[in-house]
Amino acid sequence: MWLGKYSTVLMYLIPLVIKSVRRFFQKHFERWLVSRIPSQQEHQLNSRNIMIYPTRFGLAYLGFVVLVFLLGTNYQNNIILLLSYLLASLFISVMLHSFYNFSQLRFYSMAKQQGYAEELLYFVIKIITEKKHYDINVHFSDKTLNNQVVKLALCPQGSYELRLVYKSLQRGKYWLGRVTVYSEYSLGLFKSKSILDFGHYAIIYPKAKSLITGQYQLLAQADESSIDNYQSTNYIGTDDFLELKSFVRGESKARTAWKQLAKGQGHYSKHYQASQSQLQWLKLSEMPSNDVEIQLAYLSFLIGELTASNQSFGLELFPDMRNESMNIPPNSGFQHQQACLTALALY
Amino acid sequence: MSLFNKNTKQVSENTVRKVKNRSKSKGKSNFYLSRKNAWLLWLCQCLNLAVIAVELTTWMLAIIALSLAWQALLLHQGRDTDNILSKNKTVTGHTHRKNSHHGLTQSKCQKKPQTSNVSPIVLGIFALLGCVAIVITAKQVGILVSMLHLLCFSYALKGFELRARSDFYQLVLLGLFVLAASLIFRQDLAFSSITFVLLVLNLAVLLQFFSFEKAFFTNIKGVVVLLGQSALLAIVLFLVFPRLSPFWQVPLAKSAETGLSDTVKPGDIAKLTRSTKLAFRADFGQQQVPNYSQLYWRAIVLEKYDGRQWSRQRKLTKNKTTASAKSFSFDNRATGVSPLTYQVIVEPSFQKYLFALAPAVVTGDNHGIQVQGDYTFNSAKIINQAKSYRLTSYLSAPLTLELTAQSRQLNLSYPQESNPRLEQLALQLQHNYVDVEARAQAVLNIINRHNYSYTLQPPLLENNSLDQFFFDTQAGFCVHYASVFTFVMRASGIPARMVTGYLGGEYNSVKSAGQLANKGHLSIYQYDAHAWSEIWVQGKGWLRVDPTSAVDPQRVNSGWSTQLLQEQSELNNDLLSLYRMKNIAWLNVLRLQFDALDYQWTRWVIGFTTKQQYDLFKHWFGKMVSWKLALIIAVALVMSMTMLMLFLQRLNRSKIKPKLLAQWQIIYQKAIVKLAKQGMEKSPSMTVNDFAKQVREQCPELAIVFTRLSASYNRLCYQMLSTNEQEKLTLTMQQQYQQFVQVLKISDKNFS
Repeated sequence: MWLGKYSTVLMYLIPLVIKSVRRFFQKHFERWLVSRIPSQQEHQLNSRNIMIYPTRFGLAYLGFVVLVFLLGTNYQNNIILLLSYLLASLFISVMLHSFYNFSQLRFYSMAKQQGYAEELLYFVIKIITEKKHYDINVHFSDKTLNNQVVKLALCPQGSYELRLVYKSLQRGKYWLGRVTVYSEYSLGLFKSKSILDFGHYAIIYPKAKSLITGQYQLLAQADESSIDNYQSTNYIGTDDFLELKSFVRGESKARTAWKQLAKGQGHYSKHYQASQSQLQWLKLSEMPSNDVEIQLAYLSFLIGELTASNQSFGLELFPDMRNESMNIPPNSGFQHQQACLTALALY
Repeated sequence: MSLFNKNTKQVSENTVRKVKNRSKSKGKSNFYLSRKNAWLLWLCQCLNLAVIAVELTTWMLAIIALSLAWQALLLHQGRDTDNILSKNKTVTGHTHRKNSHHGLTQSKCQKKPQTSNVSPIVLGIFALLGCVAIVITAKQVGILVSMLHLLCFSYALKGFELRARSDFYQLVLLGLFVLAASLIFRQDLAFSSITFVLLVLNLAVLLQFFSFEKAFFTNIKGVVVLLGQSALLAIVLFLVFPRLSPFWQVPLAKSAETGLSDTVKPGDIAKLTRSTKLAFRADFGQQQVPNYSQLYWRAIVLEKYDGRQWSRQRKLTKNKTTASAKSFSFDNRATGVSPLTYQVIVEPSFQKYLFALAPAVVTGDNHGIQVQGDYTFNSAKIINQAKSYRLTSYLSAPLTLELTAQSRQLNLSYPQESNPRLEQLALQLQHNYVDVEARAQAVLNIINRHNYSYTLQPPLLENNSLDQFFFDTQAGFCVHYASVFTFVMRASGIPARMVTGYLGGEYNSVKSAGQLANKGHLSIYQYDAHAWSEIWVQGKGWLRVDPTSAVDPQRVNSGWSTQLLQEQSELNNDLLSLYRMKNIAWLNVLRLQFDALDYQWTRWVIGFTTKQQYDLFKHWFGKMVSWKLALIIAVALVMSMTMLMLFLQRLNRSKIKPKLLAQWQIIYQKAIVKLAKQGMEKSPSMTVNDFAKQVREQCPELAIVFTRLSASYNRLCYQMLSTNEQEKLTLTMQQQYQQFVQVLKISDKNFS
């Protein structure tokens, strides 16, 4: 009777204990890993950061060697015994070979990558080697990222670049964690592994969603076929100089009034008629949707469009213009686009 | 720069296989073997099975051959579909390359033809039928062989279902186990070498899986290096790791008995002499090897004769055997005949009898050796692997001076009226020659004077009638003559018996320089099998009489006559090739060398017993203690690991060694060093042009010469130039450098 009671209690308890023990070890392992392999842009594999342990096949192989030893002993057969000793010491040689195949590899990777949601992001990892290495496999340590293992059958002497693919469905900033590099070279008996931390993170912009005509008052005059017209009208005016304004951080240097700057009159930027007349503030609040995500998606689209047509625009995510971190003053160019999209991603 | 370009090209050519890492169950399906590797694996399977094929029954071999052929067919079909694929794609070249180029798609397409052709149900039925067949025949062929059947059958079938990487691993391990199992049956050097070669091949296939970019030959080299590095530890383990006694009883190989048998009919040994197999070896150490005619290796004494065949008398009690052995050992001390000590190493014969030059006593370890009353030795167990023992023989000492009544009766008995004509002859001789030895000589004289011939192909006798042979056919081999002689002796009232064994042997001396005494060993092959007689003479004991000497003296004195050899080689192709080999000097030397090697192998590796191990250990390290053992193994482990590490480190370093700088690079470096002394240092990040600009600004007098130098350097580095142009430009650069140095000197002077 109370045996049953105990057993039910145990049934609850055992998984709990196992879980907590596992968690405990995981935590310690993480901590140990952080101290052992800190976050760096560059890693060189050496005895400090390589972990080497037998694979399942390696263990099976050991079992097999024991089996051969038993066979030799039972038949009192010296040759079979010799074979088993040879296979056993081969195990050790393979361990060293495995280690040396893996060590001295150098990895570089940039921490940050950015891109749109639902698009593939490529984290480039550059491998620099001083000799040939075989069977190098790279993947993100985080299994939930559902990423592919990039397999390099032969890593030639010199440098080589491989790309890890990451894809996210949602905007934001994602820490991707560590990158696992492993090799089972030689005979697959050992797995040489290192868990490198490049501090990888991805900034995922909202996926661009095209705006349908008339949905946004800014594009009021542009009908379906006239996004191009609208752009061309703006192009005309870009050369008509209007005024000088004091330089605002983030503005294109191309517009700097160099004459004035050279004379020491201060840093001004030139502003032109057309762009001035339509100086655009892309405002979150003006996007035609109730869903913030959709609004951001529209903004993402507009930023792309405007940058493609080389127009100047500002981004206003907060009604309060003084909040400089969230509101980006008008500008144009690639850098500006990146800044705006990043702001969207982090919103 | 051009160099770098090449590198990047290589890189772009290089393969990146992206393997989709789906969920675990699906993840297995991404396994595939490259075409080359699959064929190599198949080849390995064939070879591994070929090694053990002799032990398998015909039907099992047929099944295995069938499944292997089927696999080959599937592989072939796989290639066809591959070709179609490559035609469809047409973008990139060769089939075998493609595997690696479009990793993912390829693996999907290629796998299908490989696996889907054989449905698991068909395979299952096939496997089941095979297992049933194995079980049914188990009783007939013995447990060991049926286990072997099971192993080989599963090994052959496993090739069908290479779906995941673990399947591949299993197949490789099974293959290695087949190799290990084949060593149960044979251990000689040649066979062990073949097994070793196959081991290398198997491991190379495994290595190939992880580095399919490399040529297979390179992988073989890699495996040999690996095994070579493991050898040290393996040898130490072999020498010091304790031999354990068998953990449990294992089924023994029921191999066919080879060599002599317990019963002998006329014509039996003639068949045996067609075999070129080694029977045993004898090592006399530093002693003089006795004459050929004295090398009568005694194996079995046959005292019973039933009119057709000679057989062994098994009634001897144990008491008697020990008594006779004791009495003999006492005798030899009294007579003071010079002893001859030697070691005999018997090849597995799957029988029990051992060989000795009678009379002999066992010296040293007599464990597992039984001494028989008739001066023969028996092994306690069936000899299923090489066995060695030491004997001391007293060649000229007499054998058993007194004969028991029982023994006398046995050695005089013969079935009455079995060979009436011979009996008549015997009575006649008994009447004519009173002296026993004279009577024996008379029989030999008859054989010698009449037209008797010694042949390997004697005419068949009805009921093994000795009369028919002696009076009609008059052609026979050693057993014929020995039988007739023994029969006549018995019929004439002299105790006589038949002895079988081997005569002679091939002396193989390895003449190593610096050694005075030629050390060598005697190899005795199956074709040296022989039969002779013994008669008992009052006061002299058992005397050996070889009737063969009367008909073919050469056989007894130095070996086979050419006529016999010819006959022999006609009967067996092995022998033919052997004699051809013997006729070509260098081949024969090679054969003898190999035989010597095989002897050492048999002696030191196969015959390395626990006792030898113990002695060796004691000799080197003193008393055997377990901690010493552990220490030695640990030291060996550390040593082999450090050696390996040093080797690998060196390997690593040699690859690091920088490439030789080109002439122009050296010149430019020199110039930079000179400028650095002037206080203008080139930081590594600076380009050549930037630095030239800096120099121009800082010391205008150097501007022209250094800019020229830099320009040439740039051209040499980054322009594609033919070697001719390069040389020319390097020369100009040399001149420019000299100008630069001059200008530098002048400016230096100006400063000071």
